[in-house]
Amino acid sequence: MDSSGEDINDMVKKDDAPKGPSGQKETSTADMLRIKQQMSNQCFEMEVHLNAGKNRRSCSTSEAERDYSDHISELERVKTLRFNQTLALHRMQMWHAMEEKIKTNDPEADALRAVNQRCMALCCRIKQIQQETRLLQDEITELQKKRLEMKRLTHEKMKEMEDLMSRKEHPDTEKYKAALEKGQTNLEKYKKMSIMAQNVLRGLLLACKINWLDDPKLRHVAMTLEEFPITD
Amino acid sequence: MSRLNPFAKLPGLNTASVLLVESEEHFQQSLAEALVEETSVTVNVRLAKSFPLPIENDESRPRIDLVVFIINLTSELSFQSAEASLKYLEPGYFLGKVCFMVTNARSSSVPAERLDAVRRLAASLHCPLLFAEEQTPQGVTNAAERLLTILKAAAGFVPFTTPLYLSNLTRCTLPPDIDQPSFD
Repeated sequence: MDSSGEDINDMVKKDDAPKGPSGQKETSTADMLRIKQQMSNQCFEMEVHLNAGKNRRSCSTSEAERDYSDHISELERVKTLRFNQTLALHRMQMWHAMEEKIKTNDPEADALRAVNQRCMALCCRIKQIQQETRLLQDEITELQKKRLEMKRLTHEKMKEMEDLMSRKEHPDTEKYKAALEKGQTNLEKYKKMSIMAQNVLRGLLLACKINWLDDPKLRHVAMTLEEFPITD
Repeated sequence: MSRLNPFAKLPGLNTASVLLVESEEHFQQSLAEALVEETSVTVNVRLAKSFPLPIENDESRPRIDLVVFIINLTSELSFQSAEASLKYLEPGYFLGKVCFMVTNARSSSVPAERLDAVRRLAASLHCPLLFAEEQTPQGVTNAAERLLTILKAAAGFVPFTTPLYLSNLTRCTLPPDIDQPSFD
């Protein structure tokens, strides 16, 4: 019988739930609903198992894996759809219940109405503040636009200025260059003439041994002879 | 060779039955005690060392909703015994009514290949793989809690969920680099 040594099949169980006076376990309505749901779940499983062999077709494992993940995602999609729809339904039911409640005149309805009023007041305030925010935001955008415009204008003006400054030097220098050169040549000519005259005067003074120290006028002229360098 | 059939008996009202299979019979006891603490549902815990189960208990045994294989990673025998027991289960069990629980995964004496082998086994069977810490009472409680979640779904206590659906969400998957050498 036992081919693999000691196979124990022990049982661990704790005491049953507290029993009522008649010795039966007390089950409430909620418990019964739960048990009913458990049983329907089990039946569903068994049904699935029974129907499992019906749509049989042969395919490779990879194809089966792919189909499997497709089926799973489809299942997920349907489940979420159903869940969302149930939520929406619950929401509608709640609103309906609240409406009905408010129409009656219980103290609870009064509390509900007070909460409602507060909610509405807060919503109005929120709307107001949102409008103010929007206005302020518009103003800010306007200011930013103006600032950008200013920046652009400044930029343009700076560029113009730079252009002008770089252009100004040329026309002036063009015009006066010719005159400048002519003046330079004149200067050179007169310089040479004065140097020659001075040399001649110096030679005269030395050759004739004129006493230029006593005569103030002659002395003044002789002193100025030293300013220009003696050229050959 | 008699196999364990998931649908051979009627389900129990407001009860869930779990079978803990462990070849060392070490962790079973404490886990079982933690499992029966559950109050909303009557949890029936049955312990076994390995398959095949003794025939004399066949009559008294209730319908098993979940079979848990407890594998101790520090012993190779544990893994082999669990593997050998698999063929005594009807294929209907592998659609969400089987779970693998691994202990001592953090121990340094465990070769990495054993955990990989367990992972491969769980992934090929599309079963969830749980890791449990058996040394501390907190670890036992945690393991019991997680097992209870799966057990409740397997016994039909969770509305709109079948164990097959849950196993699709919780099944063990192989990391893509399982064939590459690990850090140590």
